[in-house]
Amino acid sequence: MKIEEIMIKKIESVEADAPVYNAIEKMVDKRLRSLLVNPRDEKDVYGVVTVRDIVFKILGKNLNPSKIKVEEIASKPVICINKDMEIEHVISLMNKFNIARVFIHEGKEIIGVVSLLDVMAAALIERAKGGSVA
Amino acid sequence: MLEKVFSGGKTEQKVIENIKRHIKILCSASDCFKKALVERDKDQMLCIPDLEREGDVVRREIISNIYEGAFLPFLRPNICRFVEIVDEAFDVMEDAALEFEYLDSESDREMEEDCIRIADINLKMCEMLLIAFEALFRKEDLREKNLAIRIYEKKVDEIKLDLIKRLRKREVKDFWEGKILSDFISYITHVSDVIEDASDYLYIMNVSLR
Repeated sequence: MKIEEIMIKKIESVEADAPVYNAIEKMVDKRLRSLLVNPRDEKDVYGVVTVRDIVFKILGKNLNPSKIKVEEIASKPVICINKDMEIEHVISLMNKFNIARVFIHEGKEIIGVVSLLDVMAAALIERAKGGSVA
Repeated sequence: MLEKVFSGGKTEQKVIENIKRHIKILCSASDCFKKALVERDKDQMLCIPDLEREGDVVRREIISNIYEGAFLPFLRPNICRFVEIVDEAFDVMEDAALEFEYLDSESDREMEEDCIRIADINLKMCEMLLIAFEALFRKEDLREKNLAIRIYEKKVDEIKLDLIKRLRKREVKDFWEGKILSDFISYITHVSDVIEDASDYLYIMNVSLR
């Protein structure tokens, strides 16, 4: 099964220079665990900010999320893959880099995202059909 | 146990084949629904009432065969109920198809994409229901099939929540436009609930036969 079949096409993003508080609001409102961080300019690359970053780097240290910019805690660059990649390879990649989500790109554009939960759901559906993703 | 229960004679085999046929017709209806949505083709949507009628004929035949004495008495109500739930899925899909007839064709693109995604998941759920039904007769545990259907249903629920959120912000020109759009979304998202019910019922039958 190719990653394109299970990727989520709706990607929520936040600007790199926005305060972390904006990201928190967006995550809470839309029940998300991560946001794509848009590049600052043409030379910059996409990043990702996760709930983990916010809890460990800001809230856990009692810092003010309104005074810190998203780019200061975001991970850059994001791990991007091609939409034709097979799920089994994506699982290996996520395991190797110890990441919970990968982004899917087409040229310079990010067109989708797949999280571990999406991979698990797809693998379970394949099992139910009598197949497997590996 | 299953072998004893399902090893049945001709009438039992006929019922089993007809139930498969019934679910396959539901798959065809879901497929047709999705294609009509993708192509924005109201004429193509007319396949749904046709397939619903075809499903009705098969359902009547199944129920008649059961009342003629197919299967052990303790199983009959369960099988009848399962067939009735599948039939309900046809009815809900038909309701959605009727609303589509009056839907404003210039609804926003994002909403349309979400409806297509829901129709696609509904189709996959129907196909999984058929796989689950066939597995029942191979003495397989239906737990994984049932879980797969629940995963699909959760996906529909997520899309539905998002859709309703956006729907509330949408400016409605008149009462009927709003009602038709709201009913259409309500019906297409309800199909997955009904298929999940059917799958749960199948799973209960599976467990009770162990």
